[in-house]
Amino acid sequence: MYYINACSTISNQSSFKNNDWVSNIELLATNSELISPDYKQFIDASDLRRMSKIIRMGIVCSKDCLEQSGINNPDAIIIGTGLGCLTDTEKFLKNTLTIEGLIPPTSFIQSTHNTIAGQISLALKNHKYNNTHTQNNLSFEHALLDATLCLNEGLTDVLVGAADEKISLLDELVEEFGYENFKNKLTEGASFFMVSNVKNKSSKAQLIDCLTIGLNRANPKTIIEDFLVNHNLTLENIDLILFASNGTIDNNEVINDLKPVVVLSFENYCGYYNTNIAFGMHMAVDMLNGEGNKLINNSKPLKHILLYNNLLNNSIGLTLIKSIEA
Amino acid sequence: MDIYITGIGVISAIGFNVQENYQALKNKKTGIEPARFFKYKTKLLVGEVKLSNQEIISQLNVSVPISRTSLLGIVAAKEAWGDNKSNKLIRTGIISSTSVGGMDNSEIYYKQKLQTDNPDLSLITTHESGGTTNRIAEEIGITGFINTISTACSSGANAIMLGARMLQQNKLDRVLVGGSDCLTKFTIEGFKSLMIYSDEWVKPFDNERKGLNLGEGSGFLLLENEKSIAISKNKKLAQLSGWGNASDAYHQTASSPDGKGATLAMLNALKKSNIEASSISYINTHGTGTPNNDLSESVALKNIFQHVVPSFSSTKAYTGHTLAASGTIEAVYAVLALQNNVTFPNLNFSTPITETMLIPELECNPKQNINYVLSNSFGFGGNNTSLILKKA
Amino acid sequence: MEDLKTKLKEQIIEQLNLEGYNVSDIKDDMPLFGDGLGLDSIDALELIVLLENNYNIKITNPEEGKSVFNSINSMADYITNNKK
Repeated sequence: MYYINACSTISNQSSFKNNDWVSNIELLATNSELISPDYKQFIDASDLRRMSKIIRMGIVCSKDCLEQSGINNPDAIIIGTGLGCLTDTEKFLKNTLTIEGLIPPTSFIQSTHNTIAGQISLALKNHKYNNTHTQNNLSFEHALLDATLCLNEGLTDVLVGAADEKISLLDELVEEFGYENFKNKLTEGASFFMVSNVKNKSSKAQLIDCLTIGLNRANPKTIIEDFLVNHNLTLENIDLILFASNGTIDNNEVINDLKPVVVLSFENYCGYYNTNIAFGMHMAVDMLNGEGNKLINNSKPLKHILLYNNLLNNSIGLTLIKSIEA
Repeated sequence: MDIYITGIGVISAIGFNVQENYQALKNKKTGIEPARFFKYKTKLLVGEVKLSNQEIISQLNVSVPISRTSLLGIVAAKEAWGDNKSNKLIRTGIISSTSVGGMDNSEIYYKQKLQTDNPDLSLITTHESGGTTNRIAEEIGITGFINTISTACSSGANAIMLGARMLQQNKLDRVLVGGSDCLTKFTIEGFKSLMIYSDEWVKPFDNERKGLNLGEGSGFLLLENEKSIAISKNKKLAQLSGWGNASDAYHQTASSPDGKGATLAMLNALKKSNIEASSISYINTHGTGTPNNDLSESVALKNIFQHVVPSFSSTKAYTGHTLAASGTIEAVYAVLALQNNVTFPNLNFSTPITETMLIPELECNPKQNINYVLSNSFGFGGNNTSLILKKA
Repeated sequence: MEDLKTKLKEQIIEQLNLEGYNVSDIKDDMPLFGDGLGLDSIDALELIVLLENNYNIKITNPEEGKSVFNSINSMADYITNNKK
């Protein structure tokens, strides 16, 4: 059994270090921006000066998770990111094409996908397992799956997180490709979790299982049903499905398809980015603990929440979590 | 549960397939030359795959746009996959790895964007690292578990390690694991900006080493459990018996002087393999030829093996440093060492490093029996991984 | 010389993104690495870029940079002696 013992999110909502953020969540306004904490409070200025937004978000969320769970040095650090450190990547790319002489190395160093996981290990002097997954919209699920492998191997506390950052080039590309659906919807964020095979007083939810399917050819509803059967559950046992598709699937179709289970498309709260399912998982954990009931006009305690991530019916991720009390 | 390697594939500067790579290794023939296909403003020594994109595209008959990273990956993945078929009874996945994904196309797009009003948008669609793996999976015909690891220069070894763990925990029966990276201006300028790109031929473990030469390529291995082999009837080429990953936690790019992360990675792999260090017959080192890596790795080797460091070499003077692909290409070389009872020579070596005085393998010596091969891969962010392969 | 040192401090603050630092915070004889300003090996590479791009001085071996980057004084001396 796996437990989620800490959650921390930086997003366009007031999610950071705010226990009732899900209850106060609001639909995103057009052009809403990331709500960043004062990073100087959490990171030394000498380290901060090199860090782009994605690294800052990742480091601060990881620190928050460590603090919440009272773990100083986790047994593994695992990150998922869809597009990695875009700010530094674009900066260095531009420099290679425009500077004739020597090019400053810092943005190259900071551009690799594993910069966040590496920086966390450096900050903690952590010598344990460290990995970074990048599989488009399923990057976080793959990181989470890796965390469960670690716990099965006998590790106790695994820090697992996701982060993606937005650069203006992404908005420009949406414009140039003429993707009307994405206009003003691209956002960014980071969500980190401490998952453990030990239940303690800070445990917030149980993580039951996680499944990823790439290049999918099957009917998504059948996939969901088969996934649940493996845990002796049916759709009727699921109190809520939190759904993300980066706007590539018609929400109403999903809602109709999975009736009578309540489906909440949480992307209206966080916007589109590759790893926004991690935002959904934090939301789900808080909803299992009684937050945000009004979002689904519900008053009774929730037991099972399924996170359903589906890009174009092609890449599907399912993550099942369960309340601690149940 | 035992994990077997039943297929290998490789494309690199020294050959388009496993056999060509093996011949070049035995004959001490480097693939590092002044760049031919890759356009660069000055003379540049690189381990280039001697095929243009167009040549690979027509050989493979694949649709464009496609990144060179995917193209190289498809060649190696196809060789490793061979004539295996999808089978409902064998749960199959693919885990690839790359450091910069489709950056080769992205930089053409970005250059056009800076210079014209009308850049070719299709070029940016191949950027995502995960997308490069999807392209490889499509060509092989694998659906379901498809993942990509990106931990800089240890990516490939981590992909192999993850595949092994997925089999060991009975999540999959068969998994194609690999890595791919092509030469890009981005990575070349990157290593130049760090002042560790040598303008001479790379000299791993030599006291006068000046830095690395980049290369490109891809390696893939097919891992299977007993259940899968019972159905596929594939021959066991080697066994993957141990793996370990550890963080150096010393510096964002440099390795620690005491080789802590590397030492821990090797120790973890030995422990997982349940063998003593003395059982290792040959080590394919990370050996990039940078002053920092080779010293730190030498120190780590001495930490583990004390006064009896086994036969070791770096094959980066053949292929160049192929970044994410290096761990997978070198794992294929480890299989070749086990199959043929040989170790591969370390090119361009003349004087041992003063601090450690270790002398790598200099000839392609047939050995009595190569039973266990250790393969090291170390990356930025202090990400260190060691794999141990065992004779089948 | 004083002008050069002030200019150098401004350039260092910008190149290394030393947020919150003013020219007056960097003393001429303060060690730039270690206990002084606390710069590291990545900064050393950035300083090599700074010298090449602003003063047309090439340092090809990072080891060579170590003595040059001791302090503002040593950097200013090196620039004065090597400027083309």
